This record gives sequence, C-alpha cells and structure tokens, in this order.
Amino acid sequence: MEKVRSPKNIFVQGPISSEKIAQSIANHATKTDIGGHSIFLGQIRADEKPEGKVIAIAYSCYEEMALEKAFEIREEIFAKYPLTCMHIYHSLGEIKVGEICLFVFTSSKHRKAAMQACDELVERIKAELPIWGKEILDSTATQWKVNT
Amino acid sequence: MSDRIRLKAFGMLAEKIGTDSLEIENPGSSEALKRQLLQQFPELQSLTFRMAVDRKLIQAETAISTGQEIALLPPFSGG
Repeated sequence: MEKVRSPKNIFVQGPISSEKIAQSIANHATKTDIGGHSIFLGQIRADEKPEGKVIAIAYSCYEEMALEKAFEIREEIFAKYPLTCMHIYHSLGEIKVGEICLFVFTSSKHRKAAMQACDELVERIKAELPIWGKEILDSTATQWKVNT
Repeated sequence: MSDRIRLKAFGMLAEKIGTDSLEIENPGSSEALKRQLLQQFPELQSLTFRMAVDRKLIQAETAISTGQEIALLPPFSGG
C-alpha cells in the first residue's frame, strides 16, 4: 500500500546534538533493505567579518510557509529518487559556532540515490525555505546572514 | 465589514518596520501594497524583499483579498 505522507515538523529549538544524530542512524538498523545512507551536517562557522567575528547565528523562520514548502520539496525528491527514508532537521534560536544547525539524512537501497538526493535537498533547503540567520558577532554587533 | 489584511514581516524587514505583524487596510494588490509600504517605511527602499500571499511566493502583481495573510520576506539564509 502506498504510504500517505503529511507535513511534519522539521524545526528543532537549539542545536542538533550528536546524540540525536547517532540515535537517528540507529533507528534505521531494522530497515534492512537500506544499503546506503547519506548525511549532511551544517555547522556554524566562525567567519571573520570587518565588524567582528561570528560567535553564533540566531535562526528564525516563517514556520507555516516553511513546513508547507519543506513538504513540497520532500514529495518532489521522493518522486525523483528511489529513497527508503528522508529526514530533515533545522535549528531555530541561537546556535553557537561549532554546533550543528542542519541535519539532512537520506537512505536508499544503493548509494547514488541517497547521495544525490541529499545534495539536492540541502541546496533546495537553503534556497527555498523561509528561514533567516542573524549573525551575532563578538563585537556585540549583529548582521543578517547572506547565503552564497 | 472593513477590508483588512494581515501583514507579517520577517528577519531584517521586521527590524526595519519595528514589528513582525500588523493589520492594515487592504490596498487591493501586491504592487499597491508595496508602494504604500515604501512610502510608510522609507528604510525599506534599499532592501530586497519578496512577498508571499497565503504562504505562497508571488512572482507577479497579485490581487489581494480581505483576510489574506501577506508576508514580507527578505532573502532566505537558512542552513
């Protein structure tokens, strides 16, 4: 029977812990048709700006729109690649340098589908989800992040 | 019944406007709304932003109906 998917929350308050990531990997041990996982982890980088060094990024979002759009992207990626599983987690609130703010996890029978889907998901998340990062600098100044 | 719409602002735009949510008279279209906002908040003139009507990004001038939720979205910077 075709599994009916519905929008689910992708947002996590605060950083994504390595325990959560480890647990997420462990949860797939029973899915023995999987042959490969691909994982992307976004980490807060201590960029040097003319106004100071980045010490954290505070993320905010337009939640209702972001969840609708994430669902749409999810459905399109599932239709395009033969995936077994797909998980997306994005942090909200203040995330310090060195902490994880994005966790994208795809699984498939063979590696290529998982790797390509993961790559495409990360690109689409950054370009299409209404999420904003405000960089907090060590000079106590702030500035809005610009995606490159 | 008055013709009003809900306006949400995010990121840098919320800071410039001074609030993340307000209710205003419906100007009737996205272009009319943009003109009104730029007049009311001249700081927005130097900023890039897009609009969403009921959580969908709009690409061209769009009619706005009573009760719709309009969002002002600066360039996305998630991830």
